[in-house]
Amino acid sequence: MRVDILDIGSGNIKSIQNLIHRLHVPTNIVTDAKKISSDFLILPGVGSAGSYMERMRKGDFDKAVLEHVDNGKQILGICLGFQIMGNFSEEDGGVETLGILNGKVEKLAQHNGWEKLQFRSDELGENRFESKLKLTKKRNVDGRVFYNHEYGFVLDDKSAFNKYISTSYEKYSSMVIRKNIIGMQFHPEKSQKSGLELISMIL
Amino acid sequence: MRVGATILFLNGYCYQSYGWKRVRPLGELQGVIDSLEKYEVDEVAIIRPVREVENLESFRRDIDVIGNLNSMTPISFGGGLNSIEHIKLLHQLPIERLIFSSAFIEKNSKPIKFAQKLFGHQSIQALIPFRNREVFLSKENRFLDISKLDFEFLERYANEVILFDTENEGTPNSFQKEILEEFQIGKEKIVISGGVGLETVKFAKEKSLASALIENRVLHKEFSIRSYKNGRV
Repeated sequence: MRVDILDIGSGNIKSIQNLIHRLHVPTNIVTDAKKISSDFLILPGVGSAGSYMERMRKGDFDKAVLEHVDNGKQILGICLGFQIMGNFSEEDGGVETLGILNGKVEKLAQHNGWEKLQFRSDELGENRFESKLKLTKKRNVDGRVFYNHEYGFVLDDKSAFNKYISTSYEKYSSMVIRKNIIGMQFHPEKSQKSGLELISMIL
Repeated sequence: MRVGATILFLNGYCYQSYGWKRVRPLGELQGVIDSLEKYEVDEVAIIRPVREVENLESFRRDIDVIGNLNSMTPISFGGGLNSIEHIKLLHQLPIERLIFSSAFIEKNSKPIKFAQKLFGHQSIQALIPFRNREVFLSKENRFLDISKLDFEFLERYANEVILFDTENEGTPNSFQKEILEEFQIGKEKIVISGGVGLETVKFAKEKSLASALIENRVLHKEFSIRSYKNGRV
């Protein structure tokens, strides 16, 4: 399996590519919406919601991403890539986003730093999915992950697996999994050992 | 609070520096980053100590090195980011945060706003090099009185502000703490570097600052980063 990484001109694509390559999985940087063809797509994570969505719509990436999800293929949104999976973001004066997940994005006090993450794959319940590449037999991550954001995702979907950031940010999602859709507010590509373990469990 | 490291990087090599003047070659960037990552440094700020306006070619050469970095540690990068042309070259780099210095001191919002669009407001850091009550405008290689700073501009455009003590850089626990009283911005937005040692890290934790970036010591004793994080060296 190859991993497609969407590149619509926002920063930090290379870090995500480096992370996937560390797991010896090939990647494809997608700059044309028609060329999304892998079973696993990553929406990377930096920029501002308004300009990100503008570029998504301009290049028809929004339609291509929705089609990818409707076909049951996996998608991983990271930081802003996760936030634009919701219905609406308060950023840039208010932006309608993809609506892949039920939820909205709200302004919060800035949050830059590391938080603990404990995750076991058997917590997923009906949202459990099979890792395609089976890169590891690990079933849990007990470590720390890195956040750098000013907006937070408030999920409105009881059927999805939802992990909160921390007790100080318990309103906001750290990681959401709903079947083939995965969102992470933190940056796995910058979370050292824990990020690598988590992505190896997912792929 | 985060505990990280500052690395000076210019013309493809890393340097240790003392008092913002004397420099000692340290080696290649990837090697330095790997050593720090091994001991789980929280973040690394790569700063190009640019003096006066440089040509884009020199910037481009350093960008090529950064572009080939392979790291899973949060990285900030800056030094010489003065125009939209500079920002455009950063698109594919493995960095999360951008450090602007002269642009903040001169209130040049154009490159900052452009960077915000590409990287987001959360990615913008302001670097304010200082000695006593003066701030260093690297673009013109001169110090200005601190009263020239527009704190409202800093608050509006910077997610965090790195206060870098140029006078005490390289000497542990000599960071000029009084400077914090001059800065009328939230303490949770302040990162300190230059003259940072264990006592300074403890001070930063007490004040609930965003981060303390250690310079020289962790660059030749990388293992000490864990001790700084645990509060003992």
